[in-house]
Amino acid sequence: MNIASVQSATVPTPTATNSAAAAGRHEEKISVRNLNFYYGNHKALKNVNVSLYTRMVTAFIGPSGCGKSTLLRILNRIYDLYPNQRAEGEVMLDQENILSADQDLNYLRARVGMVFQKPTPFPMSIYENIAFGVRLYERLPKSEIDGRVESALRRGALWEEVKDKLAANGLSLSGGQQQRLCIARTVAVRPEVILLDEPCSALDPISTAKIEELIDELKNDYTIAIVTHNMQQAARVSDYTAFMYLGEMVEFDATSKMFTSPVDQRTQDYITGRFG
Amino acid sequence: MLKLYRARRRRNARVIFFSIGATLIGLSALAAILGTLLYQGLSGLSLDVFTQMTPPPGSDGGGLLNPIVGSLIMTSLAVVVGTPVGILAGTYMAEYGRYAKLSMVVRFINDILLSAPSIVIGLFVYEILVAPMGHFSAFAGVIALSLLVVPVVVRTTEDMLLLVPKELREAASALGMPRSKVIQKVSYRAARAGMITGVLLAVARISGETAPLLFTALNNQFFSIDLNAPMASLPYVIFQFAMSPYHQWQALAWIGALIITFAVLALSIVARSLTAATKG
Repeated sequence: MNIASVQSATVPTPTATNSAAAAGRHEEKISVRNLNFYYGNHKALKNVNVSLYTRMVTAFIGPSGCGKSTLLRILNRIYDLYPNQRAEGEVMLDQENILSADQDLNYLRARVGMVFQKPTPFPMSIYENIAFGVRLYERLPKSEIDGRVESALRRGALWEEVKDKLAANGLSLSGGQQQRLCIARTVAVRPEVILLDEPCSALDPISTAKIEELIDELKNDYTIAIVTHNMQQAARVSDYTAFMYLGEMVEFDATSKMFTSPVDQRTQDYITGRFG
Repeated sequence: MLKLYRARRRRNARVIFFSIGATLIGLSALAAILGTLLYQGLSGLSLDVFTQMTPPPGSDGGGLLNPIVGSLIMTSLAVVVGTPVGILAGTYMAEYGRYAKLSMVVRFINDILLSAPSIVIGLFVYEILVAPMGHFSAFAGVIALSLLVVPVVVRTTEDMLLLVPKELREAASALGMPRSKVIQKVSYRAARAGMITGVLLAVARISGETAPLLFTALNNQFFSIDLNAPMASLPYVIFQFAMSPYHQWQALAWIGALIITFAVLALSIVARSLTAATKG
């Protein structure tokens, strides 16, 4: 299966995007409707509604345990790896409900990539870490794989640091480099959406700044969702912000509006640091 | 405050003393065994040991060629038969069936098998293979030994796969990797060193087993590589020769013990350096 060709079929044409922007709103890439989520008997998400807009960055903020990561883990159905975790409602990805039972999970996850809190390089070379994901869905000659690895590493702002040691083990990199390797690995598969689950929480400020720059760069091509505990980060990188509290979606709006004139008192309290 | 701290230090010193003492006792036992083996075995070690057959009782000369070859054949075949079964079962329990009831049942039964006396395994194979066939055979010996390999490999495979962080599996799945690939390319790679050690543990265990061979492969005075006939093995020959009153047989038993011990030792060292080298 060739992701690239499918992608070009599903991504709206530039004119469509432009007209949507001209109309003052953005194209919906993912639309979450009346979503409930359960860990066994515990209800972790309560009737959540939210949208991810095409080629926009949406930040999810809120105190620990509010369900931000849970929500993110539904968007590529990674929760499906575990029994006793269950989602109800609708998550539409390009008008197609990904929660339906006949959804092909591997294909979904190739379209909706994810980067985790802890850097997770595979126990193999830097080159293989990236080539591996590419080979899953595309049969390419070695020279083209080389090219894809290089461009992915460039996109991950890692190429200059690792170009002379592609054969070195991915685990030999520093934490910040490992995380950029994970982002490059995700990008190499050419997904449509990238989910970032607190990608900087284990990193130092310099690495964090690099990854934020990277996010800014990536949103030209991808729809991005980022969970973060750092409100400045949310304000810096995102176009839209969603504030969640105790499993509920309290408020969702353009970032500029959320951080200047939030409607809900709880949002106001959280972003001003009065709780959480 | 300071008094409490001094008491703490005294207790610390005591525990360190006992820990070192226990280590020394363990090590000296090992050194004594290896020393005795070297002292008793090395003197008789010659090329003849590897080229001559076991001698008839009371005669001089002879070697251990037939039991060495027999042990090599049966041990390696048992590993070849037992390892895939063990790895597949361990993989099921740690990956596909991690939350399944079946895994708990398999784990429980496997633990029983793991601690079952090996003579019981020998008797079992005698009943189901040797008795119906009407004669002892190397084939039955291989089956008995592989039944000892399986539980060891199942256990280590499962344990090592359970140690692979779940984040690694999630990350692989999040790339759109099918479950089977996640297991082969990521889980196995991350757990490889431990899994290899598990197989080696199994090799070490069966290469010294005598009891399961008593009722299955028995012994053979002559050189034979026929799986359908009785076959000699080092542990059996050591057992038989060490109990005998003949001096030459006793000497050969020591040499055999030396060979087994150092073969296992060498295997462990090679495997350790291999896994250390590939771990990068």
